[in-house]
Amino acid sequence: MIDNGALISLSGIKKVFYTDEVETHALSDVELHVAKGEYVAISGPSGCGKTTLLSILGLLDTPSDGEYLLAGQQVAGLNPADRARVRNRQIGFIFQAFNLIGDLTVAENIELPLTYRDMPANERRDRVAKALERVGMSHRARHFPAQLSGGQQQRVAVARAVAGDPAILLADEPTGNLDSKNGEAVMELLSELHQNGATICMVTHDSRYAHYADREVQLFDGKMVEAVLA
Amino acid sequence: MRNITLAVRMLLKTPFVSAIAILSLALGIGANAAIYSMFDQLLMRKLPVQEPTQLVNLSAPGPMPGSTSCNQAGNCDVIFSYQMFRDLEKAQASFTGIAAHRAFSVSLGVRNEPVTGDGMMVSGSYFPVLGIQPAKGRLLGPDDDQVIGANFVTVLAYWFWEESFGKDPNVVGQTMVINGKSFTIVGVAPEGFNGTTAGNKPKVFVPISMRGEVQRFTRWDDRQTYWIYLFARLKPGVSIEAARAGINAVYSPIISDVEAPLQKGMSDKTMASFKAKRVLLDPGARGQSSIHREAKTPIMLLFSVTAIVLLIACANIANLLLARGAGRATEMGVRLALGATRRHLVTQLLTESVLLAVAGGIASLFVAQWTLSLIMSIMPPEAAETMAFNISPAVIAFSGLLSIATGIAFGLFPALHSTRADLISTIRAGAGQLTGGRAAARFRASLVTVQIALSMGLLIMSALFLKSLMNVSRVDLGVSVDGIATFLIVPRRAGYDSARTTVLLTQVERELKALPGVSHVTGGMVPLMSGDNWGNSVKVQGYDCGPDVDCGSRFNEIGTDYFKTFGVALRAGREFTEADQLGAQRVAIVNEAFAKKFNLGPDAVGKFMGEGGPPLPGGGENDSLNVQIVGLVPNVKYSQVKDSVPPVYYRPWRQDPNIGAMYFYVRSAVAPEQMLGTLRTVISRIDPNLPVEELKTMRQQVKENVFLDRMISVLSSAFALLATVLAGVGLYGVLSYSVTQRTREIGVRMALGADGANVRALVLRQVGWMVLIGGAIGVGFALGAGRAARSLLFELQGHDPLSFTIAVVLLAVIALGAGWIPARRAAMTDPMHALRYD
Repeated sequence: MIDNGALISLSGIKKVFYTDEVETHALSDVELHVAKGEYVAISGPSGCGKTTLLSILGLLDTPSDGEYLLAGQQVAGLNPADRARVRNRQIGFIFQAFNLIGDLTVAENIELPLTYRDMPANERRDRVAKALERVGMSHRARHFPAQLSGGQQQRVAVARAVAGDPAILLADEPTGNLDSKNGEAVMELLSELHQNGATICMVTHDSRYAHYADREVQLFDGKMVEAVLA
Repeated sequence: MRNITLAVRMLLKTPFVSAIAILSLALGIGANAAIYSMFDQLLMRKLPVQEPTQLVNLSAPGPMPGSTSCNQAGNCDVIFSYQMFRDLEKAQASFTGIAAHRAFSVSLGVRNEPVTGDGMMVSGSYFPVLGIQPAKGRLLGPDDDQVIGANFVTVLAYWFWEESFGKDPNVVGQTMVINGKSFTIVGVAPEGFNGTTAGNKPKVFVPISMRGEVQRFTRWDDRQTYWIYLFARLKPGVSIEAARAGINAVYSPIISDVEAPLQKGMSDKTMASFKAKRVLLDPGARGQSSIHREAKTPIMLLFSVTAIVLLIACANIANLLLARGAGRATEMGVRLALGATRRHLVTQLLTESVLLAVAGGIASLFVAQWTLSLIMSIMPPEAAETMAFNISPAVIAFSGLLSIATGIAFGLFPALHSTRADLISTIRAGAGQLTGGRAAARFRASLVTVQIALSMGLLIMSALFLKSLMNVSRVDLGVSVDGIATFLIVPRRAGYDSARTTVLLTQVERELKALPGVSHVTGGMVPLMSGDNWGNSVKVQGYDCGPDVDCGSRFNEIGTDYFKTFGVALRAGREFTEADQLGAQRVAIVNEAFAKKFNLGPDAVGKFMGEGGPPLPGGGENDSLNVQIVGLVPNVKYSQVKDSVPPVYYRPWRQDPNIGAMYFYVRSAVAPEQMLGTLRTVISRIDPNLPVEELKTMRQQVKENVFLDRMISVLSSAFALLATVLAGVGLYGVLSYSVTQRTREIGVRMALGADGANVRALVLRQVGWMVLIGGAIGVGFALGAGRAARSLLFELQGHDPLSFTIAVVLLAVIALGAGWIPARRAAMTDPMHALRYD
């Protein structure tokens, strides 16, 4: 049992995929501890297990073995409903493809995770307004995602991730679908959030952006090979 | 509310697809709602009276020697004599009361305007037993039917008061002429109450003791004249079994001690069953009507058909939602990642499907109304006026419930399936790929196979009904009905006595004959091929009518040139002439079935017969052989197009001293449709107060006689075609989706050397399998259904090979048509584009 006071503690995490008779070890004995307020970049070549690790961190997937403590709570063995609750309250996601819902307005997209908490409407409205303000998108609240540029969509996605005040932000290649200018802008935004106290875990294969983090973790063939200061 | 807003947005996002889905549902739910309207009105609706479930209908099946007269309220097993009614009414203790009723045709003088329609003769206990209150004045009560022929009082039906009197508040106390006699209006029945017999919509209610005044009836004391329908209300706390025992304690001694000794010439066996007769009690909440029995099979059949149409529509929408769900896999994954539970997502998706169904449900009311209009247009006008199927609150409630149930039914699987998304792959790919895609594809293919099976079954059934209708239309009627117009006049109800009636009918005959283009005019008491029957017991020279020997025959009273008018050549003898009148030798013409039944042989003409049992056209009881047969005619249709020709004898109406009504037939070189107005003008010129009823062409009369066959054929064919088109659309949708999903595979195949024909075959093979499996199941289903629907088929087996073949070919063509477009599209795939695209 691990308990070192970290916000995230992974110990001996393994993930094995079985397809037909082939066993694929996506992660092997991963040890990762992220302190509150820390900004960690997970990098590595394509297929090294970055996304699998992020999925386990985000409770989108479960490890085949190992322990996972999130804010002191053992979460590896939670049932689907409890995992959904933890995801909703503790984790904010930022995806490479933005993954905004096209049929909802910008404000409705940001409000969406809050609606799953049964939060009163007034409070939801306040939080949406604050989140929009933080990412500088208040003027686009009633627009639909298709009416925004890629950079703007990612800013909205960041607003959606932070609106619920999660314990940690998980960003999966947040600049992957953006040009360099918009990519830089999004990285600046994440840095700003980090400076204001946000804990961030970011998957990236771009070394330029890994340097925005406090610490860089490198994966190779599912194993953590190096942990360096960015 | 958020769910509903998003659901509306989703529907509007793809307006064409949503419109097709709503239209499919509207057709499916609307067809069901229309049939439910008939089901509700004919089979379910309780009388609008106090505690209708406490009402019971009385019957006493068994031998009824004597005269029976039954109508829409039920067959001749459920009627009683007037004396038996009074005996039961007096002595019974199980009911709060026993009520009697009998429908009759009325000619009314309403504010100097002649009006015809239905009336109802009711006992004084009728309204008290029903426990209803008048809308105006009072209803008839026990004091109104104690003395035969003494109470000239009437109660108006509410709808008639509204329609003909403009809801005149001073209607009570006014007088109204009913069948030539003046009656005082004492009240108006409550709104919505239209009597107790579905299929009859009385305008007026008169005391049953007034039958002698509104009809020529005198046999009040005759226990062998059966004509009254009875119902009763159970006393509180008395079970139906106890009531049955109680009423039979009264009935049995009357049968044994009073009525059995009156029977003459009855065999021991028949006497034993006569004495064993018992009163039966059946639930009477819906009133008394033969429609309940007659309509049950056709309505249940149509209900099954429309349910299948709806199932097919649901399968289409389920397929559509599955495809749409695949497109929204990323959205579902994101929502799950953001903390939504599966319940949240299923609720959202079900809201969308239920909203779709509710929209379809609202639109279905228009489809239902249209379908009901179609049904009403097929029905005979008299029946359509009585039934007036409509979109009642019950139908709206049914549509609403069906819509919600439908929405859940077709939305549940897609909702559950679409929310099983693999979070990681869907979020990463953002390409809308669902895991379990193979399962979904299997499910979609299964749905289409089921649709094909159901369509196959329906197509076969509709082919059977169509062929049956063709058989009906090819029936040799034995008469030529083209070029003939017909109508009814009832001088008796307009106040004519018999002598004046004879003069009038003769005048009408002459004036019609004088019309330009008219070649023949004749008349008959029993309308040809209308479903009406008149029967009588006869004695025939050389034929022994002993106990238990059926000596019954249908009869008609006809005018001169009757058979010439219908183009029928006599086998022997002559037609009636104007010389065959009262006082002359009583004469008859018989058909070959009559001659055969009574062993008259080919030499029937010249032999004698006699009529027994009331009513006698010659007047009075007469058992002697005093009627000479002067003509022999071939067997021509009498009452029903589909029935075999019964033995019939014809008598000249001029020898009937009590003639009161006549159906005229006018053959003309002018199209009969154009004659109708002229005929009305002629009668109006002779007597403006004499209503012309049932004015139509004989071709129309024949069509109305087989309206049930036409209705079932038309509706089942329309629904089967609709089902097949829906199944075709479903097949097209599934194949299109499958081709889109397999674009890369097709590209690879083509890159490896497959040509267009290979790719087309790949897709069409899929169609072939589905048609083969679905078709085989459908044929099996149709074999069973055909056997069950045998009673509705005319001169046709439920496994008629031609009907099956036509349906199979039609379905195969439609399926191939639906599959061809996606197959062609697949064959045109550009391999480079397909591989790059993926």
